[in-house]
Amino acid sequence: MMDFLLILPVVLSLLILIISSKLRYYFALFITLYVSVISSIPAISLLINFGSTPFVFYIFSTEIIIDNLSAFFMIVTNFTMLTGMLFSKGYLQPYLSKKSSYEIAIHYCNYLLLHVSMLLVLVFRNGFAFLIAWELMAVSSFILILFEGEKRSTLKTAVNYLIQMHIGFVFLLIAFLICQSETGNISFDALKIYFANHNNSFLFMMFFVGFAIKAGFIPLHTWLPDAHPAAPSHVSGTMSGVMIKMGIYGIIRVLSYVHFDLYLIGFFILLISAISGILGVMFAIIQHDLKKLLAYHSIENIGIIGMGIGLGTIGLGINNPLLVMLGFSGALLHVLNHSLFKSLLFYSAGSVYKNYHTHNIEQLGGVIHKMPKTAAFFLIGSIAICGLPPLNGFISEFLIYLGLFKGLTTGTFHNSILMLLAIIALVLIGGLAIFCFTKVFSVVFLGTSRKKMENEVNEVGNDMLFPQLLISLAIIAIGLFPMIFIKPITIIVSGLFKINTDSYILSITDTFSKIGIISITLIVITGSLIILRSKMLKKRKVNYGTTWGCGSANISGKQQYTGSSFANNFSDIARPLLHIKKEYNQISENEIFPAKRSFYTHPEDVFKKTILKIVDFLMMILKKLARLQTGQIQHYILYAFIFILLIFILMYLKFI
Amino acid sequence: MDILIVILFAITLLYFSITERFRIYTNLVCFQGFLLFALALFELKALTIGNFLFVSSETLIFKGIAVPFLLYKIINKTGEERVHVKALPGLFSLIFVSIGLLLSIIIAYSLKTRLGNITYFIVSFFALYTGLFLITSHKKIFSHLIGFLVIENAVFLFSLTIGNEMPMLINIAILLDIFASILILGIFAMRLKQHTDDLTMLKDE
Amino acid sequence: MISFLLILITALFFPGIILRIKSITSGRKGPDILQPWKNILILLRKSSTFSSTTSYIFQIAPVIYITTIICAMLLMPFAGYKLIFGFNGDFILFAYLLALGKFFFILSAMDTGSSFEGMGANREALYSMLVEPAFFILIGTIALLTGYTSMQEIFANLQLANHYYFIISIILIYLLIQIAMIENSRMPVDDPKTHLELTMIHEVMILDHCGFDLALIQIGTTLKFAIYGTFIANFVIPVNLPIVLQLSIYFSTQIIFAAIIGFLESFRARKKLMKNPQFIVSLSSIALVAFILSLLLLHQMLK
Repeated sequence: MMDFLLILPVVLSLLILIISSKLRYYFALFITLYVSVISSIPAISLLINFGSTPFVFYIFSTEIIIDNLSAFFMIVTNFTMLTGMLFSKGYLQPYLSKKSSYEIAIHYCNYLLLHVSMLLVLVFRNGFAFLIAWELMAVSSFILILFEGEKRSTLKTAVNYLIQMHIGFVFLLIAFLICQSETGNISFDALKIYFANHNNSFLFMMFFVGFAIKAGFIPLHTWLPDAHPAAPSHVSGTMSGVMIKMGIYGIIRVLSYVHFDLYLIGFFILLISAISGILGVMFAIIQHDLKKLLAYHSIENIGIIGMGIGLGTIGLGINNPLLVMLGFSGALLHVLNHSLFKSLLFYSAGSVYKNYHTHNIEQLGGVIHKMPKTAAFFLIGSIAICGLPPLNGFISEFLIYLGLFKGLTTGTFHNSILMLLAIIALVLIGGLAIFCFTKVFSVVFLGTSRKKMENEVNEVGNDMLFPQLLISLAIIAIGLFPMIFIKPITIIVSGLFKINTDSYILSITDTFSKIGIISITLIVITGSLIILRSKMLKKRKVNYGTTWGCGSANISGKQQYTGSSFANNFSDIARPLLHIKKEYNQISENEIFPAKRSFYTHPEDVFKKTILKIVDFLMMILKKLARLQTGQIQHYILYAFIFILLIFILMYLKFI
Repeated sequence: MDILIVILFAITLLYFSITERFRIYTNLVCFQGFLLFALALFELKALTIGNFLFVSSETLIFKGIAVPFLLYKIINKTGEERVHVKALPGLFSLIFVSIGLLLSIIIAYSLKTRLGNITYFIVSFFALYTGLFLITSHKKIFSHLIGFLVIENAVFLFSLTIGNEMPMLINIAILLDIFASILILGIFAMRLKQHTDDLTMLKDE
Repeated sequence: MISFLLILITALFFPGIILRIKSITSGRKGPDILQPWKNILILLRKSSTFSSTTSYIFQIAPVIYITTIICAMLLMPFAGYKLIFGFNGDFILFAYLLALGKFFFILSAMDTGSSFEGMGANREALYSMLVEPAFFILIGTIALLTGYTSMQEIFANLQLANHYYFIISIILIYLLIQIAMIENSRMPVDDPKTHLELTMIHEVMILDHCGFDLALIQIGTTLKFAIYGTFIANFVIPVNLPIVLQLSIYFSTQIIFAAIIGFLESFRARKKLMKNPQFIVSLSSIALVAFILSLLLLHQMLK
């Protein structure tokens, strides 16, 4: 029975290739719904029955276990994949005429395969099965990125993505093989045996690197800021929303088996996450490409999630259940939250792209007048991603903050300093995120248009707005009624790490109910003040005029603050960390009437540059070595002769 | 009360990292001299007359008055008012120095010294770090001189950590060090100025 | 709820005192203490002119700005009295509520499409980002000293008896005054009386606001000042005194705070705009000194 359930969506997704192009979308939607429902039923029932025993199935004699952690990630995956599918209908509309029907079919087929493979990653415990699902996930997402493969840059990015995923895969494979050679078994359960009587940190590091490439921790992130913009918006939304979270899932799963060195591992994760968070958002600020900017924000949010995990691991290390609960709950809730607001942001960025055909924020402006609803959704996403109340991002960051402050007050000497540094990092991330999103929202949506549009732009259709509405409702719900979502998550954490959290949940309930009340108060006061204000304005005369321009009434859109100028004061003080190439020529002294000039900035990723430098160096060496390859047969014979001679000498000296 | 002085000392060190004017450097050095004098008075409870004279002459007269006086002289003579244009911007030196503060507390705590007051220990480490940082991050020789003086103060503070039994010999050595360095550098700076324009700089650009 | 009322009362006379002090130091007689509020009342009655470039963001932003400040007021404790909304980590919500207000404030400035307001907006965004760590280290310091994580419990347990605490409090109060000045765009980083749009921060952001909206923003700014004043007063007020004494200490602290701001603004020059980030970060460094000091004290006592 279970075999059939699994095989059905795979077969159906292949069926998409032959179905008629009219019905194709509905068929794909149907399969997504089917997969989501089938997998959500056990997941939801698990989470509702608070920590009951996990479901165990056998498919082709491979064990499938759905425990609380898998169930949580499955629900996150299903929701985002569903909204992505809903969004794709409107987004792919213009492509239907451009692309052949076959290409669209392959796209949908791989979208479904990505969905199925992610679910399989979450439920497989056998190492090989897990790796196969992991590989399927990489390949299907590779094909999804290739959707606009006729562009050379997309092709390059996609190949780069595939290569980097395989490097991660190799790390995972080696890690599993080490485990097998020591315990004779290749599965996650064997890790428990391995970690119980071996050095923990080494094998964990292997796993961590493998998973971190997927998750996008700095400095292993270099595929991420290119791959997300290259893919269609619904794919970027789902990739950033859930696919990179598979890396987080892997890290948490492996961590749950680690026995020793937990403090050290926690310290390491906290450090690398803080760096990822701060640098991710710093790189984001200087971007002009809207989707690239959002991609860098994924790195930042992965950093925040990682800080939660690091905090929790430190809690395990010093045996403080409160820190474990706050850290891991914050991380898991942020996984959910990030999947919501990041997909929302990518979808609304996609809506803008659909109408304006550009990702470059310097050419946009005043979009809010044409697309007010999209702007509202982007605004909700922005507030949420900045971690501001009353939306969901605040709740998860609050959990991590609270954990850090608890660690500060109850910790040892070194711990206190560590926690303080983590707090500073989190505060900086929050402040920089606000800086970034005030920039991007105001440059894209506010003001007036910077570039003249040829045709009239209208709001996107309801089919694209509906999934965004769904996500927004979820975001607001988590923000206003946090306890409903936190409680199951704390139970996942307590089950996974075998800690008793009942006494702490009570104090958290009080905290979050008060946060909820204040959030509701905020909305109520805002609402009533807005009503009051409109009543006051009705009584008075309201005029409309131009913006104050210091006496000048003739202001063009080009005079507005652009993204670069908004970020300028920040990039000035952070110049040593960020590499921004500026292209302009100075006005010379004898130029009385300045000619027309241009100004470009090119933000560069420092890490990518470093890697490229290393690669260039290697290429140089290889080129020098290539001189040996002369193409003349005498030389090759000479090499062979030298080789034989060498062997002879070595034998003589008894080296061989 | 002594803790307040040490805190003020630490804050002057932070101030060193962001200021760009030589006159403020000089004032800070002067202020540190007074702080150290006050600290020595508080810390060295059983002062003999000889010891008192010595400590007060070292901190108050030399560090607090003579050295700043000389430094002012150098500034006036050479007309060098500010640090080099290409010196590290204040913001970054501030961040580096703050990191130094954290590092010094971690180091001091890891050493788990039984030697007296740990706060002194931290701040003297911090002063050492700041002095070295001033020397490495600046280009003009005047800043190097200031860094050197800060290191001297760090050593003095460190010797206070040990407590009452401050060996006379160390004191004399410190005193001579300051004396020699200021005199030599002062003479150099003033002499060299007469020949070329910009020899207060250690290296070109 | 005491603190809520107290902040409202303080806000009534707070801007008046600052104005009065500034006038007296510059040799003038100065307006009535309640004059700023009379101006606000006039603004409330005025008609409005909106830029046609603006959108609904511009309309709701002032409302959200003041709402966040009112909600933040709910979280401010008074002298360790039980607070309805006190909970673990309430200062995080406090800081983030104010940040939400700022978020919308910046957006409303950018909504006008004016490059002047863009200048103010990006400066505001940068400075508020830089000042946030100082505030959190400060909170971390007192949380560490007392071992609690809600503002009400922290202030209920912050004893000033020990002279070490006294020193730490001096540093923290100094920091709080500076943070209040930066958050409210006052003298060391911004000059409310400046005449040039190029050097403004707060003033340039409200260039296009008028009438009811402008009044809301000014009320909000006044309330924000009073909130920070209450924060400072909490450091000074001993917990176990009769309420009358506590109230008198509270009001005298507020008056002194307003007077300090007046004097600072009269005698201090504004910093170069380029040097502002450096100044703001230096506050974090000083906060770090206070944190390390309290960490040392705590561990010396445990030993």
